[in-house]
Amino acid sequence: MAKSPIFILFSLIITFTVTNSFSIENPTDRRILVLLDDLALKSSHSIFFNSLESRGFDLDFKLSDDPKIALQRYGQYLYDALILFTPNSERFGGNLDVAGILEFVDSGKDLIVAADSSASDLIRNVAAECGVDFDEDPSAMVIDHGSYAVSGTEGDHTLIAADDFVQADVLLGNTKIEAPVLFKGIGHSVNPANSLVLKVLSASPSAYSANPKSKLSSPPSLSGSSISLVSVVQARNNARVVFSGSLDLFSNKFFKSPVQKAGSSNKYEKSGNQQFVTELSKWVFHERGHLKAVNVRHHRVGETEEPAIYRINDDLEYLVEIYEWSGSSWEPYVANDVQVQFYMMSPYVLKTMSSDKKGLYLASFKVPDVYGVFQFKVEYQRLGYTSLSLAKQIPVRPFRHNEYERFIPTAFPYYGASFSTMAGFLIFSFVYLYSK
Amino acid sequence: MVGKPDTNKTHQPDPTTTLKTSPFSLKTLKLKTKQQELLIRITILLLVYILAFITRLFSVLRYESMIHEFDPYFNYRTTLYLTENGFYEFWNWFDSESWYPLGRIIGGTLYPGLMVTAAVIYWGLKFLRFAVHIREVCVLTAPFFASNTTIVAYFFGKEVWDSGAGLVAAILIAICPGYISRSVAGSYDNEGVAIFALLLTFYLFVKAVNTGSLAWSLASAFGYFYMVSAWGGYVFIINLIPLYVLVLLITGRYSMRLYVAYNCMYIVGMLLAMQIRFVGFQHVQSGEHMAAMGVFFLIQVFYFLVWVKHMLNDTTKFQAFLRISVTSAVAVGAIALGLGTASGYISPWTGRFYSLLDPTYAKDHIPIIASVSEHQPTAWSSFMFDFHILLFLFPAGLYFCFKRLSDATIFIVMYGLTSMYFAGVMVRLILVATPAVCLISAIAVSATIKNLTQVIRGKTGQTVSAKGTSSTKGLSKQQASLDQSIPFLKNGATVLLFGAFYLLSRYAIHCTWVTSEAYSSPSIVLAARGAHGQRVIFDDYREAYFWLRQNTPQDAKVMSWWDYGYQITAMGNRTVIVDNNTWNNTHIATVGRAMSSYEDEAYDIMRSLDVDYVLVVFGGVTGYSSDDINKFLWMVRIGGGVFPVIKEPDYLVNGEYRVDKGAAPKMLNCLMYKLCYYRFGELTTEYGKPPGYDRARGVEIGNKDVKLEYLEEAFTTSNWIVRIYKVKPPGNRW
Amino acid sequence: MVKPSSSAATKDDARALIHSLRSAYSATPTNLKIIDLYVVFAVSTALIQVAYMAIVGSFPFNSFLSGVLSCVGTAVLAVCLRIQVNKENKEFKDLPPERAFADFVLCNLVLHLVIMNFLG
Repeated sequence: MAKSPIFILFSLIITFTVTNSFSIENPTDRRILVLLDDLALKSSHSIFFNSLESRGFDLDFKLSDDPKIALQRYGQYLYDALILFTPNSERFGGNLDVAGILEFVDSGKDLIVAADSSASDLIRNVAAECGVDFDEDPSAMVIDHGSYAVSGTEGDHTLIAADDFVQADVLLGNTKIEAPVLFKGIGHSVNPANSLVLKVLSASPSAYSANPKSKLSSPPSLSGSSISLVSVVQARNNARVVFSGSLDLFSNKFFKSPVQKAGSSNKYEKSGNQQFVTELSKWVFHERGHLKAVNVRHHRVGETEEPAIYRINDDLEYLVEIYEWSGSSWEPYVANDVQVQFYMMSPYVLKTMSSDKKGLYLASFKVPDVYGVFQFKVEYQRLGYTSLSLAKQIPVRPFRHNEYERFIPTAFPYYGASFSTMAGFLIFSFVYLYSK
Repeated sequence: MVGKPDTNKTHQPDPTTTLKTSPFSLKTLKLKTKQQELLIRITILLLVYILAFITRLFSVLRYESMIHEFDPYFNYRTTLYLTENGFYEFWNWFDSESWYPLGRIIGGTLYPGLMVTAAVIYWGLKFLRFAVHIREVCVLTAPFFASNTTIVAYFFGKEVWDSGAGLVAAILIAICPGYISRSVAGSYDNEGVAIFALLLTFYLFVKAVNTGSLAWSLASAFGYFYMVSAWGGYVFIINLIPLYVLVLLITGRYSMRLYVAYNCMYIVGMLLAMQIRFVGFQHVQSGEHMAAMGVFFLIQVFYFLVWVKHMLNDTTKFQAFLRISVTSAVAVGAIALGLGTASGYISPWTGRFYSLLDPTYAKDHIPIIASVSEHQPTAWSSFMFDFHILLFLFPAGLYFCFKRLSDATIFIVMYGLTSMYFAGVMVRLILVATPAVCLISAIAVSATIKNLTQVIRGKTGQTVSAKGTSSTKGLSKQQASLDQSIPFLKNGATVLLFGAFYLLSRYAIHCTWVTSEAYSSPSIVLAARGAHGQRVIFDDYREAYFWLRQNTPQDAKVMSWWDYGYQITAMGNRTVIVDNNTWNNTHIATVGRAMSSYEDEAYDIMRSLDVDYVLVVFGGVTGYSSDDINKFLWMVRIGGGVFPVIKEPDYLVNGEYRVDKGAAPKMLNCLMYKLCYYRFGELTTEYGKPPGYDRARGVEIGNKDVKLEYLEEAFTTSNWIVRIYKVKPPGNRW
Repeated sequence: MVKPSSSAATKDDARALIHSLRSAYSATPTNLKIIDLYVVFAVSTALIQVAYMAIVGSFPFNSFLSGVLSCVGTAVLAVCLRIQVNKENKEFKDLPPERAFADFVLCNLVLHLVIMNFLG
């Protein structure tokens, strides 16, 4: 009997954790697997991990060669997100491999990958599959003789102070990151063929990627602001991935160190790393920028029932409610740029929807004078926000035979003529028959 | 023509009165010769009626009661809709399942006659408490109407020549392969009903011309209405009849009867035809119908002139009148025509019509018309195949017709000659020529046999009532010309008679053979001879369509070449991009372009059309030759006609179309090739041949290692005839 | 047509023509005259409609067609009737005028029913 309260408590905890885990209604991640090359990273990056834990995440630290690594069991994923702080591991323990990680992402889970100079092929492959190409030279680092971080010793300028952030509040928070971010590691480029990948932190125009220990023999393959230091990918299923070329970016040491950019007189007590990483982690774990569209409906003006088919020239209303996840609750999403298309091979109607500031968006328009199978399409893609892509198919039919205009004034003479010939026929028959 | 009304009147009253009054006794059972003849005639007609029906049932016996081919599936689907939802829903039906995303207004783009006919039969049977499925009604509609056609043919033959010719015509048309090809059980197509309507219209019109009665003319207008509602071939009627009127006017055979018959038929027929939404205003707008209108005005003018002439009774005055009126009329007409054409009010003739007049027109201009095999010019062999001895009897019949010219024979001669010309232009118009050929041949057969029997029976001539195929009304003129003094005349005649019967029996045998072997295949189920001579049935089409129905989402869109569109919507119940109603050339060209592009380009096209599945037909395993690879060049041509990026020479090597190693590189990597030959390189199709041996084309394929990037195989039927691929969604991370 | 006849000669011709036509026409029976009147009425109605269409355009085309065709139809049918009941026409000796009139009425009924359907 003594056992049962504990048991109930235990099961309560289980249900709590289960229900709290990532779901459509509650998109913030809960359970995170952190893979480390070295357990020392756990303490050297403790500020980052602690901030996650303090925000309510369950972190599960494992060494990268731990044979018990498993992302899923019985077809269910055990984690909502994965942090790979394993720049050097060529393979993982258990049976986790590139395909497994990509499958994890493709099922809507999130990922943070931190590479470093001499990044392993495994990391490179994962990155390449997401449209991020790390410099192929294994010993290359980002070198910037223009905007390196001023430190006591004149180094090889591989510790750079980057402040070329992407302009998106949803990614990096509302407060501007004043101090530059310290970065030391490998640079990467984003594949132009991939429209989903986005540079969050770019290198300065004077940066290039090369081996700092050897002399530059040929022009560097990567140079200037095309070098990305930190990139994010938001997949079509809204899984979010962060690629960083530097593991130290997340470290306590960088978080705390003061920073001064070369050539700049501004000296900051603390680098922007902590703010940058924290805000980015909020985004990647869906604490911010996650939208949902619900209650999509449409009807004729003045009706509430949703018809199965419209007629040409019908007046209709299209409504959708859009909410944003604030980390703990769904708040109305307010914007003035949500557009709806009435689409058949090309948009016949494109209309900006009016909002009531409580999340309800409405557009009313007239069905074009074209029949066919149309779609209501809302394609809402804003930087950093989950992309909303709603499509609802609806056929539009022409007039029925009894819906055309009747008794058109211009046709009255014709009606008159027809009836007069009919009358004429009757009179004629009468006269003809009785004239004999 | 002169004798015709007499024949009717003398026949009809006699038998009915005598039959009514006769009590049952052996003596009264012995009928008079006239009654005997009537009885025999009715019996023969009844037998022909039944024969016409049962000879078309081979397909049901061989396979099962099913709808054949392509278009009938659409007709079946619409009939089903009609019986389920009623006429008004059918009339206003907007079909969102075909021509995605354009949709199709079914009610306004079809000839509803067939569906309404079948539905009426179905409702009638239901009212009589016969629990039949609508499919059975649809399957048997065509044979039923073929039977009715034989009756019309009898009356037509009687009207044109005599009842003997009518009987022969009924027999000939009942089993003529040219007609059977479109009216076997299951061939639920417009033509099955339309030929009946066509012949009925002609018969009633000829009757109207012969009698000059408004009532017959009205009846022929209704016949025309039925024809218009059933088939686009009504254009033939609306051009042939004015042509006929014109010929009569020119040859000086104009009569008041003709005036009455044509005018009433034209005005009422035109008004009735306008009620069919698909035809609409074409009677006053399209160039194809202008001949009829022109003749209508011409005949008014003609009538007016005759009337004025009659009134004036003075040639000089009449000439003065003529001079004044003709100049003004010609001027007004020319101005009106010029204005109409210039303003685009009178539309130019459609391509199908041009291709009738000029067989090479379609080939040069409209690939979509030329791509259909039944629009090809006819080969001699198919004339022989479809007409057999009628081909030789036809000129003989023409000879007899010219020998006894009347309004009716002129009509049948014109019908025969024009339709034979059109049959030479397009294979499928053999069907239109068939009734004319049968009628004219029947005249030849009947006249010959009658002459021969008269010779054999000696000089009893005038009052003799020949049995069977010849009838009472002899031709005194011909008989007089027979010279009794020629020796062995009787024997010779007997031999000739037997020869004629031999020929006719050969014809019957040929017809039966053709029907059972060639025209009873449903083409949706394929049959072949196995290695040991047994029959192998390939039911892959239905397998694939039912797979679609069971395994794909309700709103899935299937892309295939247009041939299979009707079948997919009818049997698979899925939305298609294009179908056999080839009304939008651009849309078809888009599909053709997708099929002939590289996979990545095709993927973009398919995404823009929201395609979920792609269906191809492939005969490489079974040796089924009418598959998509053999149709592929048409896809290229049709696609290239709208999108010049697709060029036919890219797919050919030295002007040669091949799929083996020597094929053009674009050919080996286009979507159609990939979809057809995906995983085919692993398969050994025939013993002693390398893997990837295409049996339909008899070559080893050139690209055995087909990799698909944007599509994945979803289903392949047991004989690989139909292959269905799923279009992958766009990559998650790209 | 290119006869060197002056316009005055043509006018004379025309006058003589009209005169002789009028005299010939007065000999026609009354029932035929009634029919002629009826035909003239129908044709003139049709012409008025065509003129009207030329002014306002052919928008309700079905109404226009049904209006004009009803006139043309009645006119043509009346002419048919005229032919059939005219005793001078030998071709229709067998056809009793009652039968002709019954046919005429039947055709007219059909015509007007269709017109009614097509008008709206």
